[in-house]
Amino acid sequence: MYLSKRKLTPEFIKRAAILSTVLMVALFTSLFVAFWSIQVVNNEQYRLLAMRNITRTIGLPAPRGLIVDRSGRVLAENRINFTLYLVRENVEDLEKTIQRASFFSGKSVAAIRQVIDKYKNYAMFYRIPVRSNLPQGTVVFIQSRQEEFPEFEIGIEPNRTYPLAQRAAHVLGHMSEVSEAELAGLDPGVYRLGDRIGRSGIEKQYEPFLNGAKGKQTVIKNSVEKVQQISDVTQPVIGCTIVLTLDLDLQRAVEDLLGDENGVVGVMDLASGGILALASKPAFDPEAFSREMTDGEWQAIRNDLRNPLQDKFLQGAYSPGSVFKIVMALAGLQEKLITPAHAEFCSGSQAFYGRAFRCWKPGGHGTVNLFTALQDSCNIYFYNLGQRMDIDTIARYARMLGLGEASGIDLPNERTGLVPDSAWKLETFQQRWFPGETISVSIGHGQLNVTPAQLLKLMATVALHGRMPTPHLLQRIERQGKVVREFSPEFKRVDIAAEHFEQVIEGLFRVVNQEGTGRAARVPGVDICGKTGTSQIIAKDNPQYKRLTKEKRFMPHSWFVSFAPRRNPRLAMVVLVENGGDAGAIAAPLAGQIYRRYFADERHR
Amino acid sequence: MKDTVKYFDKLTFALLLLLALVGILLVYSAGHSSGETHYLKQIAWLAVSLLAFVAVFSLKTEFIFRKAFVIYLALLAVLVLQLALGGTIARTKSWFRLWGIGFQFSEFVKVPLAVYLAKLLAHIDQFDGRAYLKMIVAIFVPVALIVLQPDMGISFILCGFIPLAMLLKKARPTLVLITVLLAVAAGVIGWHSLLKPYQKERIVSFMDPAQYKDSTGYHIIQSRIAIGSGGLAGKGYLKGSQSRYQFLPARHTDFIVSVIGEEFGFLGVSMLFFAFFLVFYRHLRFKHQNDEEFYFVYLFNGLVLFQFLVNVSMAIGLFPVLGISLPFVSYGGSSLLSLFIGEAVIFRIKVNTYLT
Repeated sequence: MYLSKRKLTPEFIKRAAILSTVLMVALFTSLFVAFWSIQVVNNEQYRLLAMRNITRTIGLPAPRGLIVDRSGRVLAENRINFTLYLVRENVEDLEKTIQRASFFSGKSVAAIRQVIDKYKNYAMFYRIPVRSNLPQGTVVFIQSRQEEFPEFEIGIEPNRTYPLAQRAAHVLGHMSEVSEAELAGLDPGVYRLGDRIGRSGIEKQYEPFLNGAKGKQTVIKNSVEKVQQISDVTQPVIGCTIVLTLDLDLQRAVEDLLGDENGVVGVMDLASGGILALASKPAFDPEAFSREMTDGEWQAIRNDLRNPLQDKFLQGAYSPGSVFKIVMALAGLQEKLITPAHAEFCSGSQAFYGRAFRCWKPGGHGTVNLFTALQDSCNIYFYNLGQRMDIDTIARYARMLGLGEASGIDLPNERTGLVPDSAWKLETFQQRWFPGETISVSIGHGQLNVTPAQLLKLMATVALHGRMPTPHLLQRIERQGKVVREFSPEFKRVDIAAEHFEQVIEGLFRVVNQEGTGRAARVPGVDICGKTGTSQIIAKDNPQYKRLTKEKRFMPHSWFVSFAPRRNPRLAMVVLVENGGDAGAIAAPLAGQIYRRYFADERHR
Repeated sequence: MKDTVKYFDKLTFALLLLLALVGILLVYSAGHSSGETHYLKQIAWLAVSLLAFVAVFSLKTEFIFRKAFVIYLALLAVLVLQLALGGTIARTKSWFRLWGIGFQFSEFVKVPLAVYLAKLLAHIDQFDGRAYLKMIVAIFVPVALIVLQPDMGISFILCGFIPLAMLLKKARPTLVLITVLLAVAAGVIGWHSLLKPYQKERIVSFMDPAQYKDSTGYHIIQSRIAIGSGGLAGKGYLKGSQSRYQFLPARHTDFIVSVIGEEFGFLGVSMLFFAFFLVFYRHLRFKHQNDEEFYFVYLFNGLVLFQFLVNVSMAIGLFPVLGISLPFVSYGGSSLLSLFIGEAVIFRIKVNTYLT
């Protein structure tokens, strides 16, 4: 093909050049304006965004506050622990990472997937805790080959430890990881997924104080590599120290004396209501929860029929048995239905409302007055008193003396027990109250049930002639050596005349010191007052009673609730031995030994 | 020879060389934190491109335009061959390996197509329906072959020839209307049958990048952050955190403007734009010997301008992310070589004016 000759006119060419130039000037001007707007006008906004791209703020966990006994001996503290973290933004091959995480942590692949899934709404740079308490060997292995495993980080962090293992386990409580559901209701600045929180005992009760303030550090990172530069570090602050009223020496003694029996011992300082010792058996090792518990370990604790996690002191509900006679006596005296001299005749059995009710002593106690009825725990005396009092009056006094409601101790998850009355029966069973039921209640049986904490409080009130203390475990809270909060004892006045308490105390003194049912608790030189109680597992009129009660698990629970000394009382104590059998033979001597130990110590003289 | 040197547009050539050298510096900056060595390859490609420039510059323009149709056919043959044999890189067949070097042949379509179109336009007296059809077919055959690879970026850029040709020939309003309708039709058909989901997402994400911030909108957002955070004077060479810490995607190719925006700020960007403006502007000042030359200069210069505008708009989110590089600056040997060949023809035309 030929080439064309010039046909385009100079005018056309000139116009084309001018038009093109105008167009180009317009286009370039708009570009300059657009870039000016982004780079100069909105520079600040984009500068912040660029900064946000490269900075990562990492929370630094704070050591938890210590828990110490009244003389500063450590019950719960922290130790160094290595935590394996997974950072998703550094993951190259997720499947490979999951395999590695499973290998390092000893958890199943499915469990690892579950953990990762839990954090799916968190930023990619968030450090997902895969496992705490990583063995040293694994730590060294990962750290020495960090280049190969950019997605894993090892955090060196404090972890809860309980140096005395199972001692005072129920008082101290345990901790575990917060769940996603709980986080919704918690301050995100304080708790994040993967954190641990107090679940029971003091750990739960004083969580806001124990939990320290997290620190943080800002790290400049790129989108694929590791830490480039660390800046802006806020150090974490340790939580407050919780000083308990517990006396570790007494706590040890109490636990050792209780030995392998299942049961509860609570000792209260009557000057303040402070708990000096509190044991609930069987116990558990709270540290097992701070470690990564295997499924097997967890199942073993959960499926243990003896329920080691339960704090029997607050959560065990038992029939009070004859201990309830204290309430009956006080109610009878205050209601002027009896005087101390009032007498009944016990032949071993008596009919009420067409049914025979027995005393525990087959031959009977003969003529008994208030003092001897308490001393020998005569049922007949209290049946008669019960018959002359209606159930609602009994319930009123029981509640007045702290039964049927939480004791108010500073521990979580306390049960209230049950004080039955006619309104309760109507509401629960749509039935009126039968007078015959009152007879059982008057010796502490029937629907009535109480916690050991309530009986301890009851006995403290008796010892103090109607000043009812609120039991408590907190002595004070210290933040970096300074006292933040100090417990001030609380006493409430019970509307029963002081003389009636003195009359009941006379009976309780005889229980221990005049060949009464609690004589085994006697300690020379210490005036102990107390009351035994036997709480039947199987009704005594069960034809199989004799055979079944040879088996330990069907033996009655045995109570001994007491205080000492009689004048200027110092201690109140509740002892419950589950399936202990005869209270006088088991619970009472145990209490006696505890008093002996306590008062043998020079400091307590 | 002496005259050739005398009348050679040295300033514009210096500007082109400057753009390419700045490009190498930016490619180095974009890759040094992750240990990439693209800049070395780019240096080699620049050397090859300069040699090709000299070679093409020494050809007579008459020869080039005489052989226009043959070159055009040869090109189509290569594109067909590539579709049949091409290796696959990043889900496309746009790469052709020759002696161990990757060639992106679709880049080489620009010059021969411009040459052929220039010839067509020069021979058309009346831009009627017949002429229009001829032009559309001439453009659409290579475009279709490239779409099949698929390389949407270059296909889109080549379509820029259509409005350029129509402006140059003062097309009648009816033809303009037909072209607009054709474009809409192509858009609708393309959307439903040709575009892969990821490509569609790229286009949709351009409208609302925040909604796609984890996938395709990410590019736009990070690019804007890079440019915006550069401010007036920039963060300094090699100091752009967006680029250094690898938040910026495709930073050595499609988003090279974001690197200069972040590290050299508005001042750096302005100087770059001004250099481009000067090149485009100076190429419009020439005297031609035949109409083919006139059309070629306007077509090729216009196409480079079009590509420049699309790339820069893309970097600030004014245009969908289509995978279009910044002429002379972005990493990419085939692109550089193709552009320098085209420029060689323009420079030759400009020299011719004075030599005869």
